[in-house]
Amino acid sequence: MRDPGLVASPSVDSATVQVMFEYVVSATFWLLVGTGIGLIASIKLHWPEFLPFSWLSFGRVRPVHTNTVLLGWSSLVLVGLSFYVVARTSRVALWSPRLARIALWLWNLALLGGLATLLAGASRGPQEYREWVWPLAVILAAAVLIDGYVAYRTVGARALPEVYVSNWYILGAFCYLPIIYVTSYLPFYQGGLGNTVVQGYYMHNAMGMWFTQLALGISYYAIPRLLGRPIYSYALGVLGFWTNLLFYPLIGAHHFIFSPEAWWLQTTAILFSVGMMVPVWAGTGNLLLTFKGGGGAVRRSYALPFFVVGLIGYGLSSTQGTIEAFRNANIYWHFTNFTVGHSHAAMYGFIAFIAWGAVYGLLPRLTGREPNPLAVGVHFWLALVGVLTYVIAISVAGVLQGFAWVAGQSFIASVIAAEPMWLWRTIGGLLMVSSHVVFAVNVWAMRPQRAASPAVSPAAVRSPA
Amino acid sequence: MNFGGLHTNHRAIVAVAAIVFFVLTLVMAVLPALREQASPALAGAKARGHEEERGRQVYMREGCGFCHTQFVRDLPMDRPYGRASQPGDYALENPPMLGTQRTGPDLSDVGTRQPSEAWHMIHLYDPRAVVPQSVMPAYRWFFVEKGQAGPVDVVVPVPAGRAPHGKVIVAGPDAIELVRYLLSLKQAKVSR
Repeated sequence: MRDPGLVASPSVDSATVQVMFEYVVSATFWLLVGTGIGLIASIKLHWPEFLPFSWLSFGRVRPVHTNTVLLGWSSLVLVGLSFYVVARTSRVALWSPRLARIALWLWNLALLGGLATLLAGASRGPQEYREWVWPLAVILAAAVLIDGYVAYRTVGARALPEVYVSNWYILGAFCYLPIIYVTSYLPFYQGGLGNTVVQGYYMHNAMGMWFTQLALGISYYAIPRLLGRPIYSYALGVLGFWTNLLFYPLIGAHHFIFSPEAWWLQTTAILFSVGMMVPVWAGTGNLLLTFKGGGGAVRRSYALPFFVVGLIGYGLSSTQGTIEAFRNANIYWHFTNFTVGHSHAAMYGFIAFIAWGAVYGLLPRLTGREPNPLAVGVHFWLALVGVLTYVIAISVAGVLQGFAWVAGQSFIASVIAAEPMWLWRTIGGLLMVSSHVVFAVNVWAMRPQRAASPAVSPAAVRSPA
Repeated sequence: MNFGGLHTNHRAIVAVAAIVFFVLTLVMAVLPALREQASPALAGAKARGHEEERGRQVYMREGCGFCHTQFVRDLPMDRPYGRASQPGDYALENPPMLGTQRTGPDLSDVGTRQPSEAWHMIHLYDPRAVVPQSVMPAYRWFFVEKGQAGPVDVVVPVPAGRAPHGKVIVAGPDAIELVRYLLSLKQAKVSR
C-alpha cells in the first residue's frame, strides 16, 4: 500500500496551522509549569524544609505535577500533532479549526482549574490522575469529545478511499479516552474495593489506550515522511492496533498485585502483560526497521534522533512494565521508586521524545520557519542525559528500598538508602527542565508567519530523498 | 491487503474499536468492581465518627496517600504493618486509599502500632523531632504558636529547641482531626 503522506499534498490552510500551533504552545506552557512543579517535588524529598508552604507541600504538588504533564503537556501536544496528521493523510483541511480552538480553551480552563484546586487542597484524594473534582472532569471530557469529533469528521471528509493506519490509532484513541474517563468518574460501582479495581483500569488504560495510541499514530505518519520512504510493514501496524486493543485493557490490575482484588483478575493481568510484547515489539520493530538504510537521514536531521530515542524508549519501558508485573519481581519492586522510574521512562523516554520529534519534524513544514539546529541539539542532549540520570537514579533508589524491605530492616533504613539517589534524581530533573526552556524558545522560533500563506518548505530533513 | 474492508471505512473502524473497548471495560473494570463493591464490612469494623471522618478529609486534602499505603500484602516484609488486607477492610472506605508508593510506612494499622496522640502531634509539627532521618513535610500550618496556652488548648509537647523560644505550640482543628483519624486506623480482628 502506498503511503499517502509521501504524495505531495496541497499546502495546509492557515487556519489549521494556526490552531495546531496553539495546541503546541499551550502544551509547552504546561510542560514548563508541570515539570517545574515536579522539580519542586523532587527537591523536597532530600530537602524537606524547602518551600514550607501548605499549597506547595509534597502531597499537593505531586498530583499537580502528574496531572499537568499528563493532561496538559502530553495530551495537548499529541492532540495538536494528531490534527496535523489526520488532515494531511486525508489531504483535506482540518474539519473545524474553530471547534478545535474552543476545545483547546476548555482544556486550558480545566487545567488551570485543576492546578488551582489541587494546590488549594480540593482533591478527590490520592486516586492517581483522577484527583480533580468532578466539574473539572466534565470540562475535560467535553474538550476530548469535541477534539475527537473534529478528527473524525476530518477523516470522514478524506480525499482518498483508504484510512491510513495513523488514523486508526488516532480515531481509536479518541474513542477510548472518553470511555476510560467517564468510567473512572461514575460512582455506581466504586464503593469499597470496587474503587481500586477502577483505579487500576483507569491509570493503566489512560497510558496505553490514549498516549501510546496517539504517539504511534503520529509516528506512523511522521517517520516515513521524514525519512522519505514507506513504513516497513503496513500490516504490522494494523496488527499492532488490534493486539493493543485486545490485550492492553486486560492488564490494569497488575498495579495491584498481591492486593485483595480477585486473584483471577491479577493473574489475567500478568498473563496479558506478557501478551503485550506482541503489539509493543510489532510497533517498535516496524518503526525502527523503517529506518533501515536511512542512517544518513538521521545524521542530517534534528528531528529523527528524537524518534529513535522515543521508539527505543517505547520498547524498553513496555518490556520493563511486563517484567514488573511478574509476582516474583513485583515483590522487590512494588511500592518502591522503581515504578516512578518506569513511568518516566515511558511518559518521557517514549511519549515526550516522540512528541518532540514530531514537532521539530512537522511544524517547520507548516510554518516555513525552522529553529536553530544547534538549539535543537542542546534540547536533545539535555533531555536525554537528564532523563537517563533521572531514571537510573530513581530505579536504583527503588531497588535499594525493595532490598531494605525484603531484608526486614526498619522502614527508615529504606529512606536512608534511597536519599542519595533522590539528590541525583533532582540533578537529572534539573537538566530535563532546562531542556524544556530551550524547547520553548525553539517552538517560538517555529511560529507561523503573519499574513503569509504557509509555505511547504525547507524540511527538517535535508536528505537527498 | 484487505482487512475485511475496514481499511476504507472509518465508521466501521471507530465502531468496532469502541465496541470492543467498551465490552472489555465492562468485563475487566465495571463487573469486577461491582463484585468487590458487594464485599461486606468485617464484623469487628467500626464506622468512623464525625471528627475521624473530618480527619480523613484532611488526609485526602494533603495527599498523604501519595507516600503512605493502606494496603498490607501477604508477604513477610509487610508483617510489621499488620495482617494481610481483605476486601472487607475497605467496605466502608470512599475512596479506599491502598496507594501505589511507600515513601513512608503503611498506615493500615497505625492506630495500633503507634497509639500515642502526643507522638503523632509532634510528628506532624516536626517529623524530624521524632525521626531524625524522616523526609516527611512538616505540617506547621495545622498548628498555632501562642505565648500562653488557653484552658481548652491541646498543647503539643514539642522537644526543647524544636519550637520558637518562649512559645507554646497549640494544635489546630486540622491536627486534632487528622490525629483522630490516624488513631482510628486499626485493622479489625479476623479469624483466619
